[in-house]
Amino acid sequence: MKKQLITLDINDQLYQVAVTPMDILVDVIRKEIGLTGTKKGCGQGDCGACTVLIDGKPQLGCLKLAIACQGKKITTIEGVADPVTGELHPLQKSFLDHGAVQCGFCTPGMILSSKALVDSTPNPSKEEIKRTLAGNTCRCTGYILIFEAIEAYVKARAEGEVK
Amino acid sequence: MNILNEFEYYAPKTKSEALELVKSLGSSAKVLAGGTDLIIMMKEKMIKPEAIIDISNLDELKGIVCKDGQGAEIGACTTIAEIEFSKDLEKKYSALTYAAGELGSNQVRVMATIGGNCCHSSPAAETPTPLSALGAKVVISGLAGERELPMEDFIQGNRKNDLQPGEIVSKFILPEPAKKSACRYGYIGLRNAMEIDAVNMAVNITLEDDGTKIKDVKLVMGSVSPRPLVSELIPGLLKGTELTEELIVKAGEAAQSEAKPITDVRASAEYRRDVVGALARRLVKEAYEAAKEA
Ligand SMILES: Cc1cc2nc3c(=O)[nH]c(=O)nc-3n(C[C@H](O)[C@H](O)[C@H](O)COP(=O)(O)OP(=O)(O)OC[C@H]3O[C@@H](n4cnc5c(N)ncnc54)[C@H](O)[C@@H]3O)c2cc1C
Ligand code: FES
Ligand code: FES
Repeated sequence: MKKQLITLDINDQLYQVAVTPMDILVDVIRKEIGLTGTKKGCGQGDCGACTVLIDGKPQLGCLKLAIACQGKKITTIEGVADPVTGELHPLQKSFLDHGAVQCGFCTPGMILSSKALVDSTPNPSKEEIKRTLAGNTCRCTGYILIFEAIEAYVKARAEGEVK
Repeated sequence: MNILNEFEYYAPKTKSEALELVKSLGSSAKVLAGGTDLIIMMKEKMIKPEAIIDISNLDELKGIVCKDGQGAEIGACTTIAEIEFSKDLEKKYSALTYAAGELGSNQVRVMATIGGNCCHSSPAAETPTPLSALGAKVVISGLAGERELPMEDFIQGNRKNDLQPGEIVSKFILPEPAKKSACRYGYIGLRNAMEIDAVNMAVNITLEDDGTKIKDVKLVMGSVSPRPLVSELIPGLLKGTELTEELIVKAGEAAQSEAKPITDVRASAEYRRDVVGALARRLVKEAYEAAKEA
């Protein structure tokens, strides 16, 4: 089928890509644009590896048509660190400090899901953190270290230690 | 497996443009809202539409309007997450906001719409059950105009509903809850998150002015029949009574006798029948107690 040029706004950068209507967002981000931080696990909406933020909210890249994402602001894991200095976001640092990353396959999705939560909620409870991450599967860490990393970040932010 | 069939993509700018397209493209086209059912069905080759009409950006189909003393209207393309977090809806229709919060995962709720949940017409769907118990009407739009149907009449079977060619669902109308009433929703699944309900149920109870006798009761079951099952026995059993432990037990038995559960990957029919009894007993009691406090 004939491809058409669309513009996607990813991490505040505009990308022109040629797609067919059938092309799925996560594949376009990884294969056409080359941002391979976003992962693809199940392709069925179950694992959350493909999570990206669309207009600030976590959505599943494996269930979105790329063509339907024109005019929306997409954030992938590559857009979380400081765009100028490249310094990691304090939430990302907290994941590293707490050993919340093992193989790392779930991590981009985990970071984006939790980033959307901490951006919209000043002081999320453990229950809120768990509920928010219920759609992000991790087969390595057992989740505890991930919850601790997020709680530590929220606490440090509340105490004014990090942004 | 994950490759979609070829289709044309349309993103109409207005509801009337969408209705024109739905009419002219006919049954070869599918409407796309959140895509959390549709894209999966296409990936699994259960359907192969030749055209996709994306209605997810139509503001006319979105939003929650709660009117003081006059119920509420919810646009078909309102997301499940918006419903889950709506303080206005929670005040009057907590059974619905609670059910919304139990659908899928956070990401799924951000994408999924209430219109999609009802139009997919899965017997296990989360929102049709509380919507029926709350007396919601489905507003169906076509080029010729609008019509309304009670929620339980809209869904006609597994993936079957009353939508005719050229029609879409545009909104849901919820009546103002009666004085001295309360509605409760519950479900049982294999685990807390990311499961499909083995059984779900909602019970709406209105009390007489005396605050003890039951004036009206509606019990709706999901996932134990191809469509939301409104109990016919429960009103006869409970209307005019003050709820007792004995009546609660009878209510459980009545619901069990009406349920038509099947055995599938999620649960056996036998287990489902037990769960129907347990949920009915629990929810009748909870709704009654809550109505007393209302
Ligand atoms: C991981 C995962 C978990 C899930 N868990 C649950 C769960 O726990 N409970 C549950 O109930 N569901 C669950 N679902 C199913 C799904 O998310 C819901 O049914 C959702 O509400 C569908 O809405 P949508 O907007 O994504 O619909 P879409 O996929 O866009 O559409 C679904 C169907 O409805 C039609 N349609 C949509 N809107 C309209 C309209 N306005 N007028 C006419 N036709 C329309 C479409 O053409 C399509 O046939 C889950 C899905 C996933 C991927
Ligand atoms: S790859 Fe999208 S949810 Fe698993
Ligand atoms: S770190 Fe390996 S899946 Fe989470």
